[in-house]
Amino acid sequence: MAGEPVQFMSQMVSIEYPAPEPTLVSRHFGEQLAAGRIVGHQCPRCGKVYVPPRGYCPVCVVPTTDADEVEVADRGTVTTFSVITPIQYQGQEETDDYVLATILLDGADMTVGQQRLDGIPIDDVHSGMRVEAVWAPEAERKGAAGPGPAGGLGGAVTGWRPTGEPDAPLDQYDEHIL
Amino acid sequence: MRDVAVVSFAQAPLEQPPGQTEAMMLLPVITEALEQARLDRRDIGFTCSGSADYLTGGAFTFVQMLEAAGAWPPIPESHVEMDGAWALYEAWVRIQHGDIDTALVYASGRADPEALREILCLQLDPYYLLPLWPDYRTMAALQAQAVLAATGRTEADLAAIAVRSRADAKANPNAVVAGDFSAETLLADDYVVAPLRPHDLPAIAHGAAAVVLAADEKARELSARPAWITGIDHRVDPQYPGVRDLATSPSARHAGEQAGVGKGPVEAAELAATSTAEELVLIDALGLDGDVAISPSGGGLVANPVMVTGLVRIGEAFRQVNAHGRARVVAHASSGPCLQQNLVCVLEDR
Repeated sequence: MAGEPVQFMSQMVSIEYPAPEPTLVSRHFGEQLAAGRIVGHQCPRCGKVYVPPRGYCPVCVVPTTDADEVEVADRGTVTTFSVITPIQYQGQEETDDYVLATILLDGADMTVGQQRLDGIPIDDVHSGMRVEAVWAPEAERKGAAGPGPAGGLGGAVTGWRPTGEPDAPLDQYDEHIL
Repeated sequence: MRDVAVVSFAQAPLEQPPGQTEAMMLLPVITEALEQARLDRRDIGFTCSGSADYLTGGAFTFVQMLEAAGAWPPIPESHVEMDGAWALYEAWVRIQHGDIDTALVYASGRADPEALREILCLQLDPYYLLPLWPDYRTMAALQAQAVLAATGRTEADLAAIAVRSRADAKANPNAVVAGDFSAETLLADDYVVAPLRPHDLPAIAHGAAAVVLAADEKARELSARPAWITGIDHRVDPQYPGVRDLATSPSARHAGEQAGVGKGPVEAAELAATSTAEELVLIDALGLDGDVAISPSGGGLVANPVMVTGLVRIGEAFRQVNAHGRARVVAHASSGPCLQQNLVCVLEDR
């Protein structure tokens, strides 16, 4: 109303950033994913295998390169998981409860997080479960490939399903919960 | 007070392989600084870093950079959302506690020059100034105008600063612009924002740098010629530029006095001036006379890796003492619009 002192003002601030250029390491990782391979870098000093590769080993603090590349399996062990109950908001595409799991791939020393677990009732999900990747059709992997901001496997692997193998014993993954 | 010295300095080469993360840029730089000091990462008592997540728009980007320092097993560390020179100040304070003898300081920044014009506006007050979105070139021009009006200097005087900086930078492999230029040629360029032309403003760059500090006899053990920090101080002017006289920098003057710049002859001063006019303000504020070699590396004008430039000034001042045999050198770092915040450090051979 005219004459009223201003008590609030809205000042919307937004900044548009150029999309970060993917690193050569992550671009190569994405190309391999599109070809159906999950690769990592093996530290030349401690032998740990990082998936996705980072271009260095953060424990030994030495650079790693394509020469250190190794392929790991597209199957592994669920180390931990969350059951997500979607709240409905604009843009929400989920309607039912679902599971995001952290998975230790066979041959890797780092887990991949936030992996969709399908093909099993939620109440049956547990740590130690053996799972295998559900790949997107080959034509859909390109472009979707490459690790997202939190790492992981991008859109090339759409989810994971139980293999039916016996559970992995705890001492095989208890150092890799997160 | 404990005697603390800079014992090594390393800077990422200007030419970087494409597609690198900041952690990948930093890793070899930190390794080089440690190797110069013949230290292992596990020998370091405290680690402090400077960077700004706003530059790339990624929350907690600085945490990933820790992987370049080596944080396993866990290390005592801290981060400032500022130029790495302020991280060095924190490390210097931490060493004063007396229980550690060494510290690693590093800084990194990847800045897109166009995006920076908006991003740096976010450091302005949100009510009166930010809604106008005055980019850093506009703010620098306001200050330059004030300096020319107050001092009677001319645009040709500003061009002479650029000519000298670029000529000095010929010996600096990390300069973006270097070479022999004539003031007439530079003055023929159009204004970016009057009274500033392209040569009056910094060359924005990606960068990474690392410094190792050590105390007392440890410093002598790690370096044949450490550069002793005999004074270090930082001060802040009011946030709103409208209440300041932009032709002066009281905060730089105070910081210089507290650091003891005037307590002895100064042979060289590495200034983080990011406009030619800022250099005039700083020379006046720090009381540097005509005998002082101003920014022998070319200073902040020839390469401005944002968040790294100030730490590089301290590193260049260390080189002046360590490699070029100078006895007493001043290093300066700045933050905020128009020299709002200033850090001054005096390095000496002993």
